[in-house]
Amino acid sequence: MSKPYTLQELLVIAVAKEIHDHENVILGVGLPTTAGALAKALYAPHATLMMESGIIDFEPLLPLNHIADAHSCRGFSYATDLFSAFTMTYRGFVDVCFLGVGQVDKYGNLNTTCIGDYYKPTMRLPGSGGAADFISYAKRTVLTMLGGNFVEKLDYFTSPGYLDGGNSRDESGLFPKGSGPTMLLSTKGVFRFDPVTKEIYLAQIHPRVTVEDVKKDVPWDLKIASDLSETPRPTDEEIDFIRCFAPAMSAGRELAMELMIANLMKQSKG
Amino acid sequence: MAAEISKVMSVRDAISKFVHDGDELVIGNYTVGSCAELVYEVVRQGRKGLTLYSQSGIFDVEVLVGAGSAARLVSTYVLRAGGKKGGSAVERAMNAGTLEVEDYTNFQYNARLVAGMHGFSYIQVLEGAMATDLFRKRSFLGENKYRVIKCPYTGKDQLTVPAANPDVCIVHVQRADKFGNAQYWGALGSVAAAALASKRIVVSCEEIVEHDVIQSSPHLTIIPAYRVDAVCEVPWGANPTEVLGYYNIDQFMYGLFLMMDGTADGLKAWMDEWVYGCENRAAYIDHYVQKFGSKNLDGIRCKPYYSAPANYGSAFTSRWDKDGRERAIGMTLAEFEQTLKERGKLYE
Repeated sequence: MSKPYTLQELLVIAVAKEIHDHENVILGVGLPTTAGALAKALYAPHATLMMESGIIDFEPLLPLNHIADAHSCRGFSYATDLFSAFTMTYRGFVDVCFLGVGQVDKYGNLNTTCIGDYYKPTMRLPGSGGAADFISYAKRTVLTMLGGNFVEKLDYFTSPGYLDGGNSRDESGLFPKGSGPTMLLSTKGVFRFDPVTKEIYLAQIHPRVTVEDVKKDVPWDLKIASDLSETPRPTDEEIDFIRCFAPAMSAGRELAMELMIANLMKQSKG
Repeated sequence: MAAEISKVMSVRDAISKFVHDGDELVIGNYTVGSCAELVYEVVRQGRKGLTLYSQSGIFDVEVLVGAGSAARLVSTYVLRAGGKKGGSAVERAMNAGTLEVEDYTNFQYNARLVAGMHGFSYIQVLEGAMATDLFRKRSFLGENKYRVIKCPYTGKDQLTVPAANPDVCIVHVQRADKFGNAQYWGALGSVAAAALASKRIVVSCEEIVEHDVIQSSPHLTIIPAYRVDAVCEVPWGANPTEVLGYYNIDQFMYGLFLMMDGTADGLKAWMDEWVYGCENRAAYIDHYVQKFGSKNLDGIRCKPYYSAPANYGSAFTSRWDKDGRERAIGMTLAEFEQTLKERGKLYE
């Protein structure tokens, strides 16, 4: 039995395993960058890590503050611009990208723009950033949903998943055939998409979570994999890497923020 | 350089001269190394009615919108301080009806500036976004947010966006010379396009260097002197954001800002102290060090990791060799002139 781990560590590892060796990978900020560093260290040493800011082929030494953080690595191999980072995605050179989720519907369409009315938002979320273009043209997209929700209808349709399900994405003629979201990670489980209907289903469930726990967050009758398994327990090597590389990630956002603010208050009092 | 005019001036003079009420103002920096001091000065001088372009409208946009300087925002990404329980100046202003926002994707926003930079009137963007609300929901640009055209070669529908040529770009870089040649390295993002698309360009930099430094490293120059209107030397000019090779992000000061930005009163108190309360960047740093000591700032100074020099040298720099003979013809200047005369080439 490996040593005790946090939920957050389990999540990072589940995402990291979506990166395969020799792939070109676009990383988003937060959990995916730590996952990218873990994958590069343990599973995919020949992966090329890239960010839309034009930092291409980098090896992170620190968790990234944002997607233009060249302070987190010691140089990098190719400095290009944002325009070229997207046109190379358009041309099919990106194997997998990672996106955060505010709202997601049954077919993996995303909202990261607003809750409530677009013009007078109850909550204004960040917006598209690179999301709509990346999920359109990367071969695969991995979704991370840590604070977001499953909804019947998005408040705002920011980024295209499988549109109306079935063949509708491919038939629209707007996207490369076979592209789209392949996995969604939440704090309760790992979800995948049915190859025919493109409807999202529960594929793996995290420890201490029941299928009922998962279902109560989903406003439709969620389908469950017939071979539903538990998300694999992390190895010591994986846990050690994450805890050393990004201790705040191991703690999770809330605890890390609480500890950071406590430290800030201590400092500001001199 | 034909006209060797120094463009060096104070931030106050640069903003006063080149940023006007009602301008389309573009923030040149993308996510990293925000031109914080230039932004603060726009706010101190009370500019109003700006149409603000910012690729990643986080720190810079919160300050400009919080101050009431911007009436319209074109962006792809905005900040939310304090998660679900928090808020942002952008959200407050949208709900108060004082700010109109036009959302694009990162690529579309950048493409508008790339089109502007090259003098095109529009540019093709990636058609996938036609399936989204980005395409369907429009704000002040209305019909002109996007237009769909038919590709004359393939007959397929193409999504396009109009070029953007903002009135003025404010941008922070690592170094520049007094003529305005501005050098920037790291995450290139959309910095060059934002500057070069604009009608006027105000550059602030960590240091002003000799022209020879620029000449020996032209691959780092992203804005050429002839396009630049003002150069301001502002050490720590991007704090609390970071500048590669100079200083890291200031988690302490950025944290203070984020703790205050969630409410209108909080942001106002923060700005009263750190924006309006400091007349320039030197005063800001003085206030910082007086209040919190110099430990934070000392702790984020970058250690050197120099780029390997690229050799811009050449085998020789004169057509005449060390014996005074022309390298291809083999004659001295006197012999050459004698030949020109003998061959009847010289007009008396």
